[in-house]
Amino acid sequence: MIVLDNVTKFFKVKEEKKYILKNVNLVIPEFVNLGILGRNGAGKSTFLRMLGGIDFPNGGKIYSDKSFSWPMGLAGGFQGSMTGRQNVKFVCRVFNKSEKEIEEIVEFVKNFSEIGEYFDMPIKTYSSGMKSRVSFGLSLAFDFDYLLIDETLSVGDAKFKEKSKKALAEKINKSNILMVSHSMPILRDMCDAGIVLYDGKLWYYDDINDAIKMYNDINKAA
Amino acid sequence: MKKRSAIKIFFSVVYALLMREITTRFGSQKLGYLWAIIEPMAMIVIFSIIHSKMNTKVSYDMSVFLATSFVSYNLFKDIVLRNLETFSANKGLFVYKQVKPFDAIISRMILEFVLQCFVVIVLLIIGYYVGVDMKVKDLLSVLLAVLWFVLFGFGLAVLFAVLSYFFENFAKIARLIFLPMFFISGLFFSADSLPPQIREILLLNPVFQFEEMIHGFYFYALDDRYVNYIYLIFWTLIPMFLGLWLYKKTERKIIMT
Repeated sequence: MIVLDNVTKFFKVKEEKKYILKNVNLVIPEFVNLGILGRNGAGKSTFLRMLGGIDFPNGGKIYSDKSFSWPMGLAGGFQGSMTGRQNVKFVCRVFNKSEKEIEEIVEFVKNFSEIGEYFDMPIKTYSSGMKSRVSFGLSLAFDFDYLLIDETLSVGDAKFKEKSKKALAEKINKSNILMVSHSMPILRDMCDAGIVLYDGKLWYYDDINDAIKMYNDINKAA
Repeated sequence: MKKRSAIKIFFSVVYALLMREITTRFGSQKLGYLWAIIEPMAMIVIFSIIHSKMNTKVSYDMSVFLATSFVSYNLFKDIVLRNLETFSANKGLFVYKQVKPFDAIISRMILEFVLQCFVVIVLLIIGYYVGVDMKVKDLLSVLLAVLWFVLFGFGLAVLFAVLSYFFENFAKIARLIFLPMFFISGLFFSADSLPPQIREILLLNPVFQFEEMIHGFYFYALDDRYVNYIYLIFWTLIPMFLGLWLYKKTERKIIMT
């Protein structure tokens, strides 16, 4: 269960407050895979980051007794000067894995990401696709209650997309996902419920199809 | 995933950062470790030669004096200056909510400390073989003095790290402040050897007083009569509390941006 208690979040754009959430109260029930929809700039990624505990509301509180992954997205979340391997090791250590477990995870991520020699090159030499491959592979190695996914599934070639979808489907048996995506088929496939962010307000739908319908209506109106 | 206590998470993160730091700072250029040793040694040799040429008599071994100076000063300086850009340098790692900017400061501090311990060991071995008189008057007090010096560095490091994160030019200013420090902080002279008027002015510099303290406890021929402990307590506590307070206020902003 995730509780949003009177949450307000805004960004200051030219001295003007642009609201992403304005006094929002919401309870996201347990064991629900949630899709997050909204137009560009509606604050989907920020919402995800707030759930992940690396962004903070201007007012109100978000709480949950569940564990969350880091938001996996195009932005990476890696230290550019470190190699893929070093980054993976770093994250393993943050989560207090033993040296033996670290070795296994490193092997797993290396194989899963299929980036070959690049695995031992600094992350700054990676393409964004390569970055999200490593990030996604890495997150699969841990057991979070919620995986936070920011568009990750829409990158990569068809083969990798298929592979990560399959891996994720397996993962969903144990974890739940909170996912930002512009791809309606993926959302329909993976998510049960949906949230639409629009104009500082938030709509929660128990059925992802209703959320998609509303999202389409917003787009038509605009 | 199992819940871990805050302190356990802190230790894991500091360990992870430390391992990362070791591989990036010293891994890419193997000279890294070596340089840490060569630099103070070169300094000791150069300044010993200069000193012997100047023909001034001192009642302690000048090379040992220089060694204690450079090791303690480098430790202090590196804790402060190497933390200047630590927040922006580690930004990519703040996507993991367990990793707080503060942890990066702690891990760098530990690294600097371990590094200088390593330097001390090498210098001791060399000193032993060369046959220098390295006798310590009061070892425990020397260690306490160094720890206090480190604490002073820690407070400044936190304060400077926050300020340089929010004010672009602050890092440059901080480096500028440190430029003359090398010459005015009693690294190669004691307060006792100075004319009274100059001594009074130079003793306003807390770094000089810390060096005086360390030398005073190390050498039989010196003492800590020029150290104003109350003055140093103020210099330690004010930057530290100011730094920690500012950090606490801005931690979320540092993580978010």
